[in-house]
Amino acid sequence: MRYLLILLFSLHLFAIDASMKIEKDVEHRSRIAVIDGSDVMNGKVSRIFLSDLKISGHFLSDGTVHKGDFSGSFVPPGLKGREYIVKYRYTNPNGPKLEVRLLKASDGSQLFEKSYALSNAQKMPFLVHKAVYDINRILKYPDIGWINRYVVFSRYTAPKRSEILLADYTFTYTKVIIRGGLNLFPKWADSAQKSFYYTSYAGLVPTLNKINIYTGSKSTVASSEGMIVCSDVSDDGGKILLTMAPEGQADIYEMSLFTGSKTRVTHFNGVDVSGKYLGRSGQIVFVSNRLGYANIFKKSIGSGAVSQVVFHGRNNNAVDAHGSTIVYSSRESNNAFGGNRFNLYLSSANGGTTRPLTTTGSNQFPRFSTDGKIVLYIKQRGGSSSVGYINLESSQSLLFPLGGRKIQSIDW
Amino acid sequence: MIKQTVWTAITLTAFFFSGCGQTAPTLDGTKGKNNFTDATEISGDTVTVNESGEGGGLGNSSADGFRSVYFDFGDYSISGTMQSKVSADAARAAQTSGKIKIEGNCDEFGTDEYNYALGLKRAKAVKDAMAAEGVQNGRMVIISYGESNPVCSSPTDSCYARNRRVDLRLAR
Repeated sequence: MRYLLILLFSLHLFAIDASMKIEKDVEHRSRIAVIDGSDVMNGKVSRIFLSDLKISGHFLSDGTVHKGDFSGSFVPPGLKGREYIVKYRYTNPNGPKLEVRLLKASDGSQLFEKSYALSNAQKMPFLVHKAVYDINRILKYPDIGWINRYVVFSRYTAPKRSEILLADYTFTYTKVIIRGGLNLFPKWADSAQKSFYYTSYAGLVPTLNKINIYTGSKSTVASSEGMIVCSDVSDDGGKILLTMAPEGQADIYEMSLFTGSKTRVTHFNGVDVSGKYLGRSGQIVFVSNRLGYANIFKKSIGSGAVSQVVFHGRNNNAVDAHGSTIVYSSRESNNAFGGNRFNLYLSSANGGTTRPLTTTGSNQFPRFSTDGKIVLYIKQRGGSSSVGYINLESSQSLLFPLGGRKIQSIDW
Repeated sequence: MIKQTVWTAITLTAFFFSGCGQTAPTLDGTKGKNNFTDATEISGDTVTVNESGEGGGLGNSSADGFRSVYFDFGDYSISGTMQSKVSADAARAAQTSGKIKIEGNCDEFGTDEYNYALGLKRAKAVKDAMAAEGVQNGRMVIISYGESNPVCSSPTDSCYARNRRVDLRLAR
């Protein structure tokens, strides 16, 4: 018996670290259960509910959607240990309709009730996103407005052929906006997501166009021999950072959308691309091969001094920024026979620690959410690709499978 | 004594795990309130624009008597073995009139804008080499297709090598 007590005590000691880690992880999350009160359960709706709750970083569900009644205040005894119960009923008689109720698990009292309806059945995922957004808001958690946003992306369909599509963040909903031709590098032009910039290869030289996704009206913003890409849009939408090559050299320019004037920001006889505003600091980060390999640098728009930001890896060829925080992809094998393994790292443009975000597969196209709390990326592993999301605060992550066609660029 | 110790351990463990729960955010007056509404906020149909008929030009090899120039991995300098192709292309240019389109291409190793800039450097290298052989700069237009225009897609180095190239053709 003495040995049994020693064993129990030892197990308890070893369990402390794990428990404390779990406690820290769930510290700010509410335990929640989801009950489907629909006549016919819809697997897609269930999966999106669970994904939304998980990636919000504010809820801890048991990963299951339970079957139950919608209307009453009854909470199954097994779910009383949660703090909240979400009950929903999904119907699709004349367009999708989602009714949602939020109950307090302990006594079944109702905290919130709302219905959401659409005429377009394809946009069903946005009903769920909006419902979870509202639940999150009602419970006074930090805003998760990014969950309602469109993702815009381009993908190759054949050599010199592509299409640009919209998706919800889970890629359950997708719709082609520009079909045919070679149209690349879509970038949202405004925070309301009414228009996006993209590069058209319809003419002899690449052209930067802007299209309104609701009216289809297009306008030409700029063109350049060689290449032209809209890499970033200022917070107020009044300026854009371009990668252009009017003299055959890829450099970064800032363009005022009010005057149409362009200011050359980088001057280098090599590759300078992917300029991203560092908040409103008047500085940018960008990718350059000025050390002989692709790496991340920063500079002020109005001055010539350039400083290295990343001191890790030998091929860091994509970056995104939110405030002074940056996320970049680093190729871990640097030769043609070394596979195509890229990993993502989180760091600061002002120095400090670097945090790895991924460890397996090929992880590229990192993009911050509008609030900088989530990182979107594309993962290739084996023969399949997925869109991934990492909640930087809760470390929760999600992957959604994509079709076989190769993603060219993406924006959120 | 042992029984008492075991029960104490169980009680402490239960107490410890009960601490993992956390306080719910405070609500103000929405409890039990029926705010059932038909939301119309998620609306607005988007368009689909068809640009299939708009130019751009197909073809993933050189044409009009020009020959493609190939590059090493991650490189944009013209090797000694490729110089003869550039010379042949310059000679071919002398036999033609009108603009020559020089298209830079890359393998699939690379992301986003960097790969397009690399393709552009390759196209620029060929343009400069052609100019050195007497072709007028004003006749040549460079463009990068990045990794968008592969001639093959198998995961072999010989295939990747075929995609790291510059194609030349007469602009139409």
